Amino acid sequence: MGVTTQTGAVILAQQSIAPPPIHYSAIAPVLIVLGAACLAVLVEAFVPRRLRWSVQVGLSLCTLVAAGAWLVVYARGEPMGLTTLADTLAIDTPTLFLWGTLLVLGLASILLIADRSVEPGGAFVAESSAAPSPSPRAASGGSTGGTATSIAPAPTPAPARATASVAEMRTEVFPLGLFSLGGMMVFCAANDLLTMFIALEALSLPLYVMCGLARRRRLLSQEAAVKYFLLGAFASAFFLYGLALLYGYAGSVELSAIADATAGSLRSDTLLFAGLGLLVVGLLFKGSVGPFHMWTPDVYHGAPTAVTGFMAACTKVAAFGAILRVLHVAFEASSWEWHWVLWTVAVVSMVIGAVLGLTQSDIKRMVAYSSIAHAGFLLIGAITLTDEGLSATLFYLLAYGVTTIAVFGVISLVRTSEGEATHLSAWSGLAKRSPLIAWVFTFLLLALAGIPLTSGFMGKFVVFSAALTAGMAPLVVIALVASAVAAFFYLRVIVLMHFNEPAPDGPTVSVPGAFTTAAITLGVVVTLLLGVLPTPVLDWASVGGFVS
Amino acid sequence: MLSLIVFLPLVAAAVLAAVPASVGRRVFAVSWVVVAAADLALVVAAWIGYDPSGGMAYEQQLPWIPTAGVSYHVGIDGLSLPLVAVTAGLFLACAIYSLRQTHRVKSFVLLFLGLQTVSQGLFTALDLILFFVYFDLSIVGMYFVIARWGHGSAKRSALTFFLYTFIGSLALLLGFIGLSLAAQPHTFDIVALARAAPLAGSGAYGALVLLAIGIGLAIKTPTVPFHTWLPPAHTDAPAAGSAILAGVLLKMGTYGFVRIAMPLLPETWRQYASVVVVVGVLSVLYGALVALAQEDFKRMIAYTSVNHMGYIILAVGAAGILAGSDEQARSLAVTGAVTQMVSHGLLTGALFLLAGILYDRRDSYDMSAYSGLAGPAPVFAGVTGLVAFASLGLPGFSGFIAEFQIFTGSLASATVATALALLGILITAGLLLRALHRVFLGSLRIPDAPGAARDFTDLRPSEAASILPLLAMAIAIGVLPRFLLDVIEPAATALIGMVGR
Amino acid sequence: MLDPYIPLVLMFALALGFAVFSVAIAPLVGPRRYNKAKFDAYECGIEPSPQPTVGGGRMPVAYYLTAMLFILFDIEMVFLYPYAVSADSLGMFGVAAVVLFIATFGFADLYVWYRGGFEWN
Repeated sequence: MGVTTQTGAVILAQQSIAPPPIHYSAIAPVLIVLGAACLAVLVEAFVPRRLRWSVQVGLSLCTLVAAGAWLVVYARGEPMGLTTLADTLAIDTPTLFLWGTLLVLGLASILLIADRSVEPGGAFVAESSAAPSPSPRAASGGSTGGTATSIAPAPTPAPARATASVAEMRTEVFPLGLFSLGGMMVFCAANDLLTMFIALEALSLPLYVMCGLARRRRLLSQEAAVKYFLLGAFASAFFLYGLALLYGYAGSVELSAIADATAGSLRSDTLLFAGLGLLVVGLLFKGSVGPFHMWTPDVYHGAPTAVTGFMAACTKVAAFGAILRVLHVAFEASSWEWHWVLWTVAVVSMVIGAVLGLTQSDIKRMVAYSSIAHAGFLLIGAITLTDEGLSATLFYLLAYGVTTIAVFGVISLVRTSEGEATHLSAWSGLAKRSPLIAWVFTFLLLALAGIPLTSGFMGKFVVFSAALTAGMAPLVVIALVASAVAAFFYLRVIVLMHFNEPAPDGPTVSVPGAFTTAAITLGVVVTLLLGVLPTPVLDWASVGGFVS
Repeated sequence: MLSLIVFLPLVAAAVLAAVPASVGRRVFAVSWVVVAAADLALVVAAWIGYDPSGGMAYEQQLPWIPTAGVSYHVGIDGLSLPLVAVTAGLFLACAIYSLRQTHRVKSFVLLFLGLQTVSQGLFTALDLILFFVYFDLSIVGMYFVIARWGHGSAKRSALTFFLYTFIGSLALLLGFIGLSLAAQPHTFDIVALARAAPLAGSGAYGALVLLAIGIGLAIKTPTVPFHTWLPPAHTDAPAAGSAILAGVLLKMGTYGFVRIAMPLLPETWRQYASVVVVVGVLSVLYGALVALAQEDFKRMIAYTSVNHMGYIILAVGAAGILAGSDEQARSLAVTGAVTQMVSHGLLTGALFLLAGILYDRRDSYDMSAYSGLAGPAPVFAGVTGLVAFASLGLPGFSGFIAEFQIFTGSLASATVATALALLGILITAGLLLRALHRVFLGSLRIPDAPGAARDFTDLRPSEAASILPLLAMAIAIGVLPRFLLDVIEPAATALIGMVGR
Repeated sequence: MLDPYIPLVLMFALALGFAVFSVAIAPLVGPRRYNKAKFDAYECGIEPSPQPTVGGGRMPVAYYLTAMLFILFDIEMVFLYPYAVSADSLGMFGVAAVVLFIATFGFADLYVWYRGGFEWN
């Protein structure tokens, strides 16, 4: 990916012969992830079908661990922040922290995605016939109308196989995930808007496909994918339009150049604010901040649960990484003109998330609304524009992401014979059937509600402190009220699980496979650790600001 | 030492959690008693080793989140030591009382051990965030106690309790952050903040911070008009849960006033002391009047709690009014407030356990359904009578010592309010006597309950062993108050010195 | 300052006028002969299959595959052509970059190829 844009940049600069310096050691984690993604595509092509799953899982996990290890080694050397690849990427402390967060969350997501024991054969569409090219006749096969059936043909029957009775899942989801993760890493390191846009597409396109890959409930899953794609494309268009206007304003797409232009120039403010507005709308969409959240409940609901976890955690990290960088680097000087708009957005997001979350009867949709409320809290941290706010938001992102993935991990375990039982009524009395899972989920929900000794509390605490320091007391008061309202619907689930009688034909709790267990354990342990001993992480998050 | 007191129950809980529930409920119930007794012994040892004139004792400070100015800082002085002792005593009483518990004993014991850590931790915390952490966790723990082991509409009451007090805790957090941000450098350390009093002369900002903290604490205390969660929570909670809720958790609110609101915001406190006094008097009168109208024995006790907490609020408010009173009177008011916390903890704890016995025998708290219980259950009637007399402030009991000091201390600075509050005592006396009269005297009448014995069984040994020591302590304080007052008075004087700055 | 834009505006006006004029004039002066082909989505080109009921039918999925592959090769060309023009000035760095680009692209090709994407029916 990096290389493609690289080529483009060089071509634009016709006469320059000297290639731009590249700090390979700094961008190695991205290169590792993207390289492994390419490799994974080749694995799809050449490795025999029965080996694909194990090779892909091994490759993905090794990649993430290797990239993480490199990152740790690099970060321990306490590097100066730098920009590389002709100033298109900025590798500074927030970038490294975000990359670390993304890799940890990516690892947990891949573990969830890889699990094949909860849903026999894996939660993703089965391998269909040998060739993926469907003949026109097969695709149009006999259905006489209804759009529903035309969107979602019944899953193709699994090819008969001697070894396994259940068709293996499609393993394309692993390279897609890696590509998306690579895009996210570039997204939050991008130092100019064009790179940011390309990264945005690189992270989004695989996600659209991944949303539509659920083995069960194909219709919902594909509806989610189409919705996400259409709205995502719309948001990308907003971003691009904003980019164009800002280029018109500043004469450059580099964040630092825009910052220079905003600091005392006589240029047209209309271009600046129209451009900023459109740009931010595109970013807020990705971060599922209300009122740009319309896709969130449907997509979270329809996508395979493991992918939902990946989206909820990683996409949010990437989007807020980019929002932080854009606001801090490019628009700090003009913040007096726009900050009240984002105040409003944060309030709207918190209110929508908390209030509509109350009315949900599906657990995945409920978590989706809770993520909208959390996005509001994150936005509060992001618009403080102080170093404290920056580190607080980074910490919150890590804390929220880890908890959320574990939440979706638990959700994927509660099933009936028809797949996951996401309707709330199915969760009643869960503690009687499976006390351990119920207590784990209770702990995670309390973390989302922000009860002390969980990462959720620490996250809220640092964000609200930073916001109060920055003089945003009214916003913090609203946020506190919103968290109290949100606590109500978390509590509702706790009540359901612990104090209601189980439904007679209720779901069973699958014994989680090793992968899911690992992911959930990781989530719970990190949630607890960040709640009790947050200091090391907070220190790392607060050692420096952005470079540009 | 303090950390040992605080975390002993938690460690015990962790060990017990590893024991399978199948070994039988006795194992858990008995080990709970042992742990609670050991904790009480530690507290007694700490009390013996405590030097009243020395300010903070047993201090310990470890860095926790240095970047945010948060540390693990514990210590006790004359304000907190009595409350730590009451907490240990009440938990031991609940442990003994619950020996007969049969329903889900393991998780019950684990939860209460956790709650004990949380409560002891709160009273020893000298860091605002540490205080807040315990404050919030107490809500979560008590929520599960009410929802799981409660009766009636327990789930609903527990939810009300959680949401109401959770909102309060968030207001508290807001106030704490606001307080720490005013200090240079930012810190959450209570001792350091008390020394610096960062919001002196800050006008509206200080008022807002005090408002946030005040609302947070007032909800927990609870005072009128934030008390509406209390009656349902008490009514539906199990007996031991009610005892802890009233005896310990309510003190968290009032303790917060003397530990945080007064010394950390002295100037603002003085400014708005009259508001506090008004709220206190309203709580006294409203609590008493509504209690008078109750038919439900437990609900009635719950409202008398509102009334008793009102005296404390009145006292701490009066201690902030400098005009017309000398330092000694104000110090007396604070001493009375702390004594009242101790006394109320012991007596209301005992009353709720007694109410639990009523429910245990006949599944009902309805006072009109009972009559003449003194016949079949003379000991029960006698103990209840004594506790009720102690509670209404009869001389010779701890309630008298507390209320006498409160009124004497407050009279000079808040004359009208104190006079009004005295009415509260009259009403409480009336309602408690009326309740005793209805339930214990007259001809025998017992409501039917399926599966219950025909006679009304008198106090069982374990019940007596849990309730009588509480009563004995109340009498001891009533007759020989010096051992308690010697501890409280120096701390109260120091506090008045801070408020008077 | 706005002078250079005036021809542009005129051009737009002209285009708009022509479009409106054509659409408006056709039913007025054109002959009216209806047959089946007139009601199809495309009077020339490929019939959507199956025949549309209300609201239109579906295009065969294979068309999309072809279209996507076409775009991919197109984009490869878009990048390769300018590189070829300025290959001299870019030196070894340029060669390495372009090789990497083609390799990345080749992976996708190989994937499509081995998974049967080039097997037209």
